[in-house]
Amino acid sequence: MRRKMDKDLLTHLINEVNSMVTEEIKIMEVCGTHTQMIAKLGLRSLLSSKIKLLSGPGCPVCVTEEKYIDWAIEILNRYHVTVATFGDLMRVGGGKGSLLEEKGKGKDVRIIYSSLDIIEMAEKNRGKQVVFLGVGFETTAPIIALAMKTAFERGIDNLYFLTSLKLMPPILHYILKEANNGIHGFICPGHVATIKGADYFKFINREYHTPAAVCGFEAIDIVAGIYYLVKQITQGKKNAFQNLYKRCVKPQGNPTANLLMEEVFNIVDGEWRGIGNIANSSLGINEKYTRFDARNAFVVEDQQVKIRTSCECKDILLGRKTPKECKLFKKRCNPLTPQGPCMVSTEGACTIAYRFGEEV
Amino acid sequence: MCIAVPGEVIELFPPEGRVKIMGVETTVNIQLIDDLKAGEHVLIHAGCAIEKINQNYYNDLLDIFKSMVDGNEKEDG
Ligand code: SF4
Repeated sequence: MRRKMDKDLLTHLINEVNSMVTEEIKIMEVCGTHTQMIAKLGLRSLLSSKIKLLSGPGCPVCVTEEKYIDWAIEILNRYHVTVATFGDLMRVGGGKGSLLEEKGKGKDVRIIYSSLDIIEMAEKNRGKQVVFLGVGFETTAPIIALAMKTAFERGIDNLYFLTSLKLMPPILHYILKEANNGIHGFICPGHVATIKGADYFKFINREYHTPAAVCGFEAIDIVAGIYYLVKQITQGKKNAFQNLYKRCVKPQGNPTANLLMEEVFNIVDGEWRGIGNIANSSLGINEKYTRFDARNAFVVEDQQVKIRTSCECKDILLGRKTPKECKLFKKRCNPLTPQGPCMVSTEGACTIAYRFGEEV
Repeated sequence: MCIAVPGEVIELFPPEGRVKIMGVETTVNIQLIDDLKAGEHVLIHAGCAIEKINQNYYNDLLDIFKSMVDGNEKEDG
């Protein structure tokens, strides 16, 4: 029943969108999971060619700075440690190689699926130091905070966190203010909003007079989001905002998760791969938890290794270009020999464009 | 990486709970959610339930959609 309803509704919404649009409309989906779903559904082939769906900076692996990977490799090389990480980070290159290459050389690098598994890993390996690589956005940050708080309460003293946790609003301010990409509307990431609340994204319409919608990740969620945005844009309603993911997203988000983040982290400047330093765009570890900070516990040389590359990830992440417009795409750059992080992560715009054979 | 999946809560043994995700049972942390009960649905990310899913699953979207088509939608902004 629901399937049929969805299908009818989807067809209706897509037809409506196509009949509304007369001029080019650029919509950015900020989150990599949205990019993946749009490609899986083949949405671009169903929508009018006047609608340009652009991928944004919401794939955490794609924006993790080279220096971060180099720190992890330095720690592995200088100390007798276990490094635990999410799988997506394994193939990302820093200036000195990747964690996968280090594992190949016999280093102890392990993939985990939940940041809470590291508590068990540290408890079972008391004789060894465990370093967890915690990357992500506001969706993942409270779970890493919970792991750190749990380690604190249990007195675990062989666990460290090398974090690169990013915040969405500063990069969106950058995109709206400086990136010069002519974006007309935003599909906001539903899972970040689940934690931080729908109101977290209202600055997009209030400060920049650009329509925005918080969307979930099923076909109907995304298509309804595009319908909503195209309708507002074509009617000139620049201050429009809608939470289309109310089944999970409250206006203020999850208060328990937010309190936890406040307890463990503070807001600091952050380095974004390809983009550079953005003020107040990252989470640092608070004083109370500083003994868990791998940057304090391990001495590593902070030398920036410059990578010479023609990778255009920066322009892709900022909505100025599509993967097809990069001259390395599908040539020197492919999932087997990725030249940039957008081709490494399964949620990277270039990987998705490669896999699904469509312009992303 | 930011993917989150829906699951049904089968059993609670705080700080964890047993959930069923697409027919497969697994254990997740439930500390980020208050007043969780068996039978409720949650959104799960990186081994942790991050929010309850409102059981009126599609109603909100359909309501919004209906009002959008009717041209009298209420803005959230
Ligand atoms: S195709 Fe490869 S080189 Fe080009 S932008 Fe994407 S990741 Fe970078």
